[in-house]
Amino acid sequence: MKYIGLVLKSARRSRRRTALTVLSVAIAVFLFASLQAVLDGFDAVALASSSQRVITIRSTSMIFNMPLSHTEVIKATPGVQEITWANWFGGIYKDPKNFFGNMGVDPESFLRMYPEIILPPEQKSAFLEDRTGAIVGDGLAKKYEWKLGDRIVLKPGIPYYGTQDYPFTIRGIYRSTSSAVDNQSFYFHWKYLDERSLQKGQVGWIVSRAADPDRATQLSDEIDQKFANSPYETKTSTEKAFTAQFANMLGNLNVLLGVVALAVVITTLFVAGNTMAMAVRERTTEIAVMRTLGYPAATIFSLVVGEGLVVAVIGGAIGAIAARLIINGEYLGMAGGFIPAFGVDNRNVVIGLGLSALIGVGAALLPALAASRLKVVDALRRVA
Amino acid sequence: MGLIGSYNLRSMIVRKGTAAMTAMGIAMVVGVFVMTLSIAQGFRATLVASGSPQNAMILRKGSTSENVSALQRTQVPILEAIPQVARGADGRALLSPELVVIISLPRTTDNMPANVPVRGVGPTAFEVREALKFVEGRRFAPGTREINVGKQAVARFGGLTLGSDVKFGGNTWKVVGVFTADDSSFESEVWGDVDLMMPAFQRNGYQSATLKLTDPSALESFQAAIGADPRLDLEAQQEREYYRSQSVTTATLIQIFATFVTTILSIGAVFGAMNTMYAAVAYRTREIGTLRALGFSRFRIITAFLAESVALALVGGVIGCVLALPVNGLSTGAMNMQSFSELAFKFKITPSLLVSGMIFSALMGAVGGLLPALRAARLPVAHALREI
Repeated sequence: MKYIGLVLKSARRSRRRTALTVLSVAIAVFLFASLQAVLDGFDAVALASSSQRVITIRSTSMIFNMPLSHTEVIKATPGVQEITWANWFGGIYKDPKNFFGNMGVDPESFLRMYPEIILPPEQKSAFLEDRTGAIVGDGLAKKYEWKLGDRIVLKPGIPYYGTQDYPFTIRGIYRSTSSAVDNQSFYFHWKYLDERSLQKGQVGWIVSRAADPDRATQLSDEIDQKFANSPYETKTSTEKAFTAQFANMLGNLNVLLGVVALAVVITTLFVAGNTMAMAVRERTTEIAVMRTLGYPAATIFSLVVGEGLVVAVIGGAIGAIAARLIINGEYLGMAGGFIPAFGVDNRNVVIGLGLSALIGVGAALLPALAASRLKVVDALRRVA
Repeated sequence: MGLIGSYNLRSMIVRKGTAAMTAMGIAMVVGVFVMTLSIAQGFRATLVASGSPQNAMILRKGSTSENVSALQRTQVPILEAIPQVARGADGRALLSPELVVIISLPRTTDNMPANVPVRGVGPTAFEVREALKFVEGRRFAPGTREINVGKQAVARFGGLTLGSDVKFGGNTWKVVGVFTADDSSFESEVWGDVDLMMPAFQRNGYQSATLKLTDPSALESFQAAIGADPRLDLEAQQEREYYRSQSVTTATLIQIFATFVTTILSIGAVFGAMNTMYAAVAYRTREIGTLRALGFSRFRIITAFLAESVALALVGGVIGCVLALPVNGLSTGAMNMQSFSELAFKFKITPSLLVSGMIFSALMGAVGGLLPALRAARLPVAHALREI
């Protein structure tokens, strides 16, 4: 510990160089923490997804509908506590670029099924009473500056919903208490959609709640059994499995982000390693003098490693704290809710700091080895 | 430039350790730059390759993609009668009305369900899309539950190999042929007889039509002919233009990500280059003083050090490009946000991408070298000469 002053003094020897190195480590840790937060965002959705809710879609693919009568059959299945259903409307708000999820739902059962959706009681009853009413997530409302009572017109994006515009009135702005439900969606009455649809009595997917979460997987199989060999076969899975599949469709994110993160670390190792090598080279004579005075090689080694560590960890702290302040939950609704909300949390900060320590030690290792193995006589004879 | 240029180059070789580390830092950044952008490039190229300039694509007015479009059976003969549609040897219009649906099949790599596009077509489809070539088996026979599968789809999704039975749409279909299509998105698709697909998926109309024009320049008059007919609530666009628009959302997303990451990463590498160049200037203070005393102007000193820094960065750029090259041609897949289905494509490193990588590295070198070069030029000569 008594050497800490010396380490700091050495680091301050070339202020500009140290500052540049600190900043490059800071940037690397900033990037690393942000990338990790994105991955965590996906994990959070999978983690928060309910294993009690099971989702039934057509076995061919989600884009096909099934008859409303399926809901009655599922409701009658033993072990099903509650069901609700929904349709993807795919409506376009002004321009196709303004993408967000908009769905027709059965309002009462929908709100019972998702207690994560928090809606003030007066807004809830206003929504239930208005056939053309809609509720929107607070993130979405903020994005388009929508207020209660606003009239919103969506153009149907799927042929069987006709070609006429659908007007809606915003009756509620909900917030979500869990990553399982995003705050970027637009929900309205399924009945309103069904009235105007060219194909009546169609539902896109059915959500049911299993009375016993441990039996959810078994229940999924039982539901699919009921529709086997019907023209509308189904595929049922727990919400957890369903969201995992969905994240997977975006491509192999883990690998891509992993490669980038590795490149970040290696780049920084080169930059910081270079600095440390320069620092040691500059001080060759000094180190030789210290060795002559009797400082053991091990001390010289730890002094150099300590310097690398200090410089890198200061940089890491700056980067991690900056990431914590800048990348927060505000980054919502990227790609219309396809990329879940993400923010750098304390865990990411700790990992970032650990990483910077690793970079510091890694960068200083070779120069420190060189310094400790210095041939004293040669070094003393050297001029500058 | 002669003397001073070779002086700077030789100095770089003297400090090979430091120079190598700096170059490697820049190499990593350029490597990531080229690699991530090659994903966007490959994705876009695969879709653009799907369209031919002589073909036109007909969708319902206002549709953003085939999946949300609709085309009535009764509209097909009206379209076929338009004179701008090319005719085959037998006098039939080269117009292919098609149905596109998405089915779910397990991905071979992780066995997770993936969205696979299924296209219902008639015999004219193969005449309209000349790029299609069978590598295994044969075309499906009309009126049978036989299907053809794109080569990428065979590799990426389970159970699509030649001769296997596939279950979807309440029926069992037999794979009788595998085709390639110039690396286009059709290679990720499954093709079958539209007249059997329609009842299987409870549809009673088509979604789009693709046709060959008599001449690429006939597009405008063809569009006018469609617009003039009140029975057609449709619009035509060049096929290539359509597929380009399909790539925009996903390709842009990848591009934004790539730009974000490489910009931040490059700042780190620039700091590294700056460090190296400052050190280079410091080590050579006396030499710089000598050069100035000999009559070399400040401007020459600046350009010389900038050139040194840029050269160093370019070496890094070359290494970075070489590091990224192995991913070229690697197959991968991603969901196309526009059609909601999975598209198999290859990382595509184009010469222009490599050139941008080199320009990017030169830029990093220039930015990193600027301040140190200015410092070198500002050194007071008398002072610098006295320096040991």
